Amino acid sequence: MNFLKKMAITASAIAMLSVGAQAGEIKVGSAGGVTGPIAELVAAIVKGRQIATEHVNSNGGLLKGDTMKLVIADSACDPKAAVDAGNKLVNVEQVVGIIGPSCSGATNGMVSSVTIPAGVTVLSDSATAPSISELKDKDTVFRASASDAYQGKAIADMVWKAGKKKVAVTYSNDDYNAGIANVFVKEFKALGGEVTGNQAHEPNKASYRSELSTLAQGGPEALALFAYYGSSGITIVKNSLENGLFGKFYAADGMFDKSVIGQIGADNLKDNIWITQAASDTEDASYKNFAEAFKAAGGDPEAPYAAHGYDVAFLMALAIEKAGAADRTKISAALREVAGPEGEVVRPGEWAKAKKLIADGKKVNYQGAAGVNDFDANGDVTGLFSVNVVGDDGNWSRSMLK
Amino acid sequence: MADFINFYFIPGLLLGSIYALGAIGITMTFVILRFANFAHGESMTLGVYFAWSLVQITGWHPLVVMPIAMILTVLYALSIDRLFYKPLRNAPVVMLVVASFGLMLMTRSVIQFFWGVQLKSVLPGIQKPILVMDYLRISPKHMMIMASALVLMFAVHYLLTYTKIGKAMRAMSDSPELAKLTGIDTEKVVVATWVVGAALACAAGVFLAIDTHVETRMGFKLLLPMFAAAILGGVGRPYGALVGGLIIGLAEEISSYPFIGTEPLLNPGYKAGVAFAIMIGILIWRPSGLFKGKVF
Amino acid sequence: MDALYGYMLYGISLATMGGIYAVLTLGLNVQWGFAGLFNAGIAGFFGIGAYTTAILTTSATHRHIGGFEMPYIVGFLAAMLICGVIAYLVGKVCLRLRSDYLAIATIGIAEIFRLILKNETWATNGPRGVSEIPKPFEHWPEPWNQFGFLLLVLVVVAIVYVLVEVARKSPWGRVMTAIRENEPSAKAAGKNVENFRMEGFVIGCMIMALAGALMAHYLKFVDPNATDPLLATFLVWVMLIVGGSANNKGAILGAFLMWVVWSATEIVTSRLPDELAIRAAYIRIFLIGLMLQIFLQKFPQGILPEKRPDVAKSNGNAETKMAD
Repeated sequence: MNFLKKMAITASAIAMLSVGAQAGEIKVGSAGGVTGPIAELVAAIVKGRQIATEHVNSNGGLLKGDTMKLVIADSACDPKAAVDAGNKLVNVEQVVGIIGPSCSGATNGMVSSVTIPAGVTVLSDSATAPSISELKDKDTVFRASASDAYQGKAIADMVWKAGKKKVAVTYSNDDYNAGIANVFVKEFKALGGEVTGNQAHEPNKASYRSELSTLAQGGPEALALFAYYGSSGITIVKNSLENGLFGKFYAADGMFDKSVIGQIGADNLKDNIWITQAASDTEDASYKNFAEAFKAAGGDPEAPYAAHGYDVAFLMALAIEKAGAADRTKISAALREVAGPEGEVVRPGEWAKAKKLIADGKKVNYQGAAGVNDFDANGDVTGLFSVNVVGDDGNWSRSMLK
Repeated sequence: MADFINFYFIPGLLLGSIYALGAIGITMTFVILRFANFAHGESMTLGVYFAWSLVQITGWHPLVVMPIAMILTVLYALSIDRLFYKPLRNAPVVMLVVASFGLMLMTRSVIQFFWGVQLKSVLPGIQKPILVMDYLRISPKHMMIMASALVLMFAVHYLLTYTKIGKAMRAMSDSPELAKLTGIDTEKVVVATWVVGAALACAAGVFLAIDTHVETRMGFKLLLPMFAAAILGGVGRPYGALVGGLIIGLAEEISSYPFIGTEPLLNPGYKAGVAFAIMIGILIWRPSGLFKGKVF
Repeated sequence: MDALYGYMLYGISLATMGGIYAVLTLGLNVQWGFAGLFNAGIAGFFGIGAYTTAILTTSATHRHIGGFEMPYIVGFLAAMLICGVIAYLVGKVCLRLRSDYLAIATIGIAEIFRLILKNETWATNGPRGVSEIPKPFEHWPEPWNQFGFLLLVLVVVAIVYVLVEVARKSPWGRVMTAIRENEPSAKAAGKNVENFRMEGFVIGCMIMALAGALMAHYLKFVDPNATDPLLATFLVWVMLIVGGSANNKGAILGAFLMWVVWSATEIVTSRLPDELAIRAAYIRIFLIGLMLQIFLQKFPQGILPEKRPDVAKSNGNAETKMAD
C-alpha cells in the first residue's frame, strides 16, 4: 500500500499549491454541466452567474468588502462527475454554498451523496425534476426554477385555451423533456383534450420524418414538441414544415433560442410556434435590469435559464450577507429570509441597496429576473411562464402567460 | 403508400448513402491497416467543422467549399497516421484499436475547444420539397445530396477499378501477404486508404450537416451504423459497404413504419439499435457479410 | 483545522472513487491483460451492475419497478450474475472472431442498454433515473459514514485483487497468457482457446458489474448517464494502460493515479479565468488522451510491467496439465 501513501502526499501537495485562497475572498461553488450533453445551454447560465457576481463585487462586495469568488466545477450532466465536483467544492475549496448543478440527475447525485451529509446549501438554477422536491434534504436543497409539474400544466392550459382539442406529442428522451411531456399529457387529457399520438424520440438523429409521419395520423391540430432545440427540436420543426406534416408547434423552454429563428427562418415560424419559458415578465423591472446588464456583457438575455443563473448567484450573495459570515451552516436559513415574500423589494443589480437594507436589519425580498423566488417548504418556486412567438421584426416576442 | 415513400423510404435512402460513404473508409482501414478505426466518426465531424468555417469565411455554398474541407480532413488523417498509428504498426493490431479509441475523444475535445459546443448550421432556412406526380415530395437539397453521393461513389468505383493505386488497394485487401510479394508499396497503399477514407468521411459529414445541422457529437452518432454497414457488406468490400450502408439506413427508418395498425412497428426510441441488431445477426449467421468479406 | 478536515474528506472521496475504478480496472485487466480481449463497452456492463442493485435495494416508489429492499450483498451478487449471463451471450457471438469485432459489439451493447434504460420507463424511470438508493453506513455520523464506505470499497478491491491474482498465478492464468502470446501453439497444446477466452470475458464483466453496483450505492443515484463512454470506458482504459496491463498491482495503481490526476487537475484549472476554466474541461480530456497515446507508443508495459509467475518455483508443468 506504499503507493497509496505517495499518492495521498502528492494529492495534498497539489491541493496546497493551488488552493491558497486570498484573504477577503468568499468562495461559492458554481457547478454546471460545462461539458456533456447540454453544454451549449450551460454556457449562458454560467454567464448569468458571473454577471451577478460582478454586480456584487463592484457594488461593495460581501460583508466587509470581501469579494465573492465563483469556483467553477464541471458536473458534466452526469452524477459521477457531479459527485466528484461537489466533493472538491465542499472539501477542497471550502465553499460557503453551491449554485447549480444544471441537470436534474447531476443535482440528485451531488446532493444525496455529498452536500446533504455535509450540510452545504445547494441552489440549482435549472434542475427541474419533481423527485428533487422529495429528497430528505434538511432544508439544504433549493431551486430557482419551477418543477416540471408547473410548466407542463401551463402549456396544457395554453393549448386548450387556443382552441386546440387534438394534439400529437413528441419528446426527446432525456430527463428534462420526458418530465414535462409526461405532465403535459396528463394535464391536457384532464382538460378534455385528445392526445392522438405520444412518442419519445432519440435525440441527435439526422431525420425525424418517419416519426413525424406516424404522429401526423389521426388528425392532430398541432404538435406539442418537448426537445432541446439543438439535439432534435430544430430538425423536427424543419422536417415537419418541409413535408407539410405539422404546421403549428407548442414547445417548452428547451426549444427557446435565437438559432431556431436563424436556422428555420422567421417567415416560416410566424404565427406557427408558441414556446413557453420559465421567465419573468419582460416588462418587469427586475428582468429589465438583468437584460440590460446581460446584453452589455455581450450575451443574449433570453437564452434559456440565463436569468435563473443570475438569480441563484445573487440570492446566494444575499444569503451570505444576511448570515453575516461565510458560515455554511447559516446559509439555508438566511436564504429563506432574503427570498421573500415579506420585506422590501430588491431587484437584479441593486446590490448596494440590498446591502444597506441588511445592514439596517430590514427584511429583504429579492424579486429575481426569472420570477419572484418565494421558496415553498420543499425549497421550490412556482415560477412564472411567458410565451414566445415570432414578432413582426423577425425576433422572438414575449408575453406573460396568465 | 405515398407516406411510406416520402417519409420512410426517401429519408432512409438519404441516411443510407451517408452511412455508405462513411462505411467505405471504415471497411478499407479495417482490411488494409487491420484495425477497426473508432476515430473515423470524429474525422467526419472535423471535416464538417472545416466546411462550416470555410462557409463562414467565403459565404459560398457548402458543396462548393467541400473539396477544400476534404483536403483539410485528409491532411488531418495523414498527420494522425504519422503521429499515432505509424509508430504502432509493428505492435499487436489491437493496440491500434486502443489508440483510435483514444483519438476519438482527443479529436472531439479539440473540436469542442476550438469551435465551442454551440449548434451551427451550414445551410440555414427550410426548403419546401417539390411535388412530383402529385404525391412524391422531393426536396432540392436532398436531390443535391443524392447526386453528389452518387458522383463520389462512381469516383470510388473508378479509382478502385482503373487506377494503379486502386488496384493495389484491392490487391492488399484481398491478400496483404501476396500483395507484398508482388512488390506493392505498402506505405503508399496505406496513404491512399487514409486519403479515400477521410475524404469520403468529410463528404458524408457535410451531407449530413446540409440535411440537419453541425454539432460536435454528430460523427460519434454515426459510428455504430457505419461499423454495422461495413460488417454487413463484408469487411474489405467497398461495394459491400455501399450496399450495407443503404440497407442499414433504410432499415432504421422503415423499422418505425406502422405496418400493423397505427402504432410504429418499433418504438422510434429504439431506432439507433436497429443497426446494432442487424450487425449482431450478421455476426451470428454470416460473419463474412453479404459480399464475402474478410473475417479475422 | 477546517481546511485539513476538508482535505481529509476529499482524500476519502478520491480514495473511494479510485477504489471503485480499481475494481473496474481489475475487471478490464482480466479481459485485456490476461486474455487480450478488447472491451469497448465497459460502461454498458458497469451500468447493468449499477441498475440491478439500484432496483433491488431501493424501497417502493411509483417511479420504477422495485420496492424489494434487498440487502446490499444481494444487490451485488445479482448484479454480477446478470452481467455474467449477458457477457456470456455476447461472448458466444463475438469471441470466435478477432478482438475488433468484440470491441464493436461491446460498444453496441452499451448503446443498446442505454436505449433500454431510457425507453422502458416503467422499469427504470427512463432518463430520470433511480434515486434514493441506500448507501451502506449512511446513518453513521460524518465523517465515519464516509470512512465506512471507503472501507467497504477497499475490502472489495482487496478481495477482487486476491482472487484475480490467484487466478493469474494458477495454471488457468498461464494458459491465458499462452493464448494471448501465441494462440496457434496454445491450440496445438490442446487448449480450448474459445472456452478460456469466454471465461476471461465473463469474469471480467462480472467484476465490472460489481464496480457498477458499488458506484450506484456511493452516488445514491443512477441514470442512463452511467453508460456514458467517457468516464466509464475511456478513463478505465487509460488507467489500465498507464498502470501496466497484465499486472494487477499496476491496474490498481493506474486506477488510483489516474483518478487523482483526473479529479485534481480540475482544482488547478478552476483557478483560470472563467472563460478558460470552462473550456479547460476539454483540454483535460485531450491531455488524458495524449497520455494514453504516449504510454501506448513509448511505455506499452505501463508503470508496473507484467511479471510472469515463476514457473520453476511453482512447478508449472504439472499444474498446467490439470487445467485441461
